[in-house]
Amino acid sequence: MRTKFFTLVPVAVISAVLGLGMLAAQSTAVADDATTTKQKDPMQFVNGSKTWANTCARCHNMRDPKSLRDDQWRAAIAHMRVRAHLTAKEAEDVLVFLQQSN
Amino acid sequence: MIITNRCRTIAWSASAFALLASPAFGQMHPERLSELEEQVEALTEQLGELKAELDDAKGEGDLDEIRQDVEANKAAIRATQSSTVFTDATSVTHLSGYASADYVSVEDGPSAFVANFNPMFHFLYDNKILWEAELEVEVEENGDTNIGLEYTTVDWFLTDNLTLIAGKFLSPVGNFRQNLHPSWINKLPSAPPGFGHDGAAPISEMGVQLRGVAPMGNSRLNYAFYLGNGPKIEGEDGEIHAVEAEGFASDPDDEKVFGGRIAFLPIPSLELGVSGATGDVAVVEDDGNDIEGDPKRGYQVLGFDATYQWNNLDLRAEYVSQEVDANPLSIAPESGKWETWYAQAAYKFADGKWEGVARYTDFQSPHADDTQEQLALGINYLITPSALLKFGYESNKGEPGEITDADRWILQIAYGY
Repeated sequence: MRTKFFTLVPVAVISAVLGLGMLAAQSTAVADDATTTKQKDPMQFVNGSKTWANTCARCHNMRDPKSLRDDQWRAAIAHMRVRAHLTAKEAEDVLVFLQQSN
Repeated sequence: MIITNRCRTIAWSASAFALLASPAFGQMHPERLSELEEQVEALTEQLGELKAELDDAKGEGDLDEIRQDVEANKAAIRATQSSTVFTDATSVTHLSGYASADYVSVEDGPSAFVANFNPMFHFLYDNKILWEAELEVEVEENGDTNIGLEYTTVDWFLTDNLTLIAGKFLSPVGNFRQNLHPSWINKLPSAPPGFGHDGAAPISEMGVQLRGVAPMGNSRLNYAFYLGNGPKIEGEDGEIHAVEAEGFASDPDDEKVFGGRIAFLPIPSLELGVSGATGDVAVVEDDGNDIEGDPKRGYQVLGFDATYQWNNLDLRAEYVSQEVDANPLSIAPESGKWETWYAQAAYKFADGKWEGVARYTDFQSPHADDTQEQLALGINYLITPSALLKFGYESNKGEPGEITDADRWILQIAYGY
């Protein structure tokens, strides 16, 4: 009985979260646009600098934007999007800020 | 350009000739008419020269030369644009990681230099899929090189706010193991007791994880839930020696462990997290020998963590416990509980180039020789934001005569690249 409980509960929770997430999957178009380095919204730079200051320093020292190339920042920010729980929009804004500051 | 000008001249010549041929010129003065005739003759001569030049330009040799010039120009343009094209590629890769070299001096014991490095790999495809991995490479006491796989995951960005992670990942329980343990991030040269291997905090897990964020105005809720193989139990002398929670690629008890962490951030500088995990585990090793068929027993993890930043002040605290239930039919029948907590304060000064750190940790284990109470003090010099020279002193209190009771000082240079 206990075995079934501990098997079914996590599967149900993960399935529910996954299902809710997939319902919102249409919004991933925002993330797709981050492939290019071109600034589309002037506020992206401003928002990106705020997110960068608020989020990155929560765990580590602020790295110099010039420490990486544009393409390297793309991969690094994708890594930090996962690790620091960034939304796609926040990750895109930070990327724009770093790419325009390096 | 020259040819274009000549064409313009020819057009003017033709116009002049047409005017001369018109009836109106019959009424002109004879001297004026003669002057115009001379001009026409001169223009006709220039037209002939121009035709000759055009014929020369149409020669095969000149065309080949022009083609070569065009190709050379295209190659030059491609070369100057290569970096831009690279950044706009669908796939990008990035090699990063961190490394450290230490000098460790132990009270009443030998001092030694140690070193390790952790390369990290990131492969991103079109902001949809990220593969990331980290190796841990270190030199052991006997000189051998030990290579471990810290994590390897395929991260699928399902939505703007949700990512599915599959593979071996750092345990989402707590904050230190998943975010703070790299040497260039950790503000002291060592991990708090209980947050290392065989301690109270799970290291990693093998399975699947859903990780995301729920923005709520200026606040946010970060979350991560996972399902994995769970840890293994080491037995020794009829007791549970340690809980190995390091992401194994097998599950002898055939019962998965479910866990996760939820963190609330009312403001960006304050994070409050609660973690937990539950499932079944089994003893798989006794006195160094592999065993099979030991009955499973319950396993629970509980954790709390808090982070707060104010100007140059950085405050952190974290509690984690791992507990294994008793099972009278097991080769190691008694239960066991490992728990640890630390509180840390760090302050940057001198324009952020220097940082002072203090940390207190209390690690409790079922085995007295592992239990340790530690006060660690450190001073760091930031060579760059990701390169630190750290000097730390640890005042340790453990079982008398054990290594956990020996004070240490550590000089470390750490670099995140």
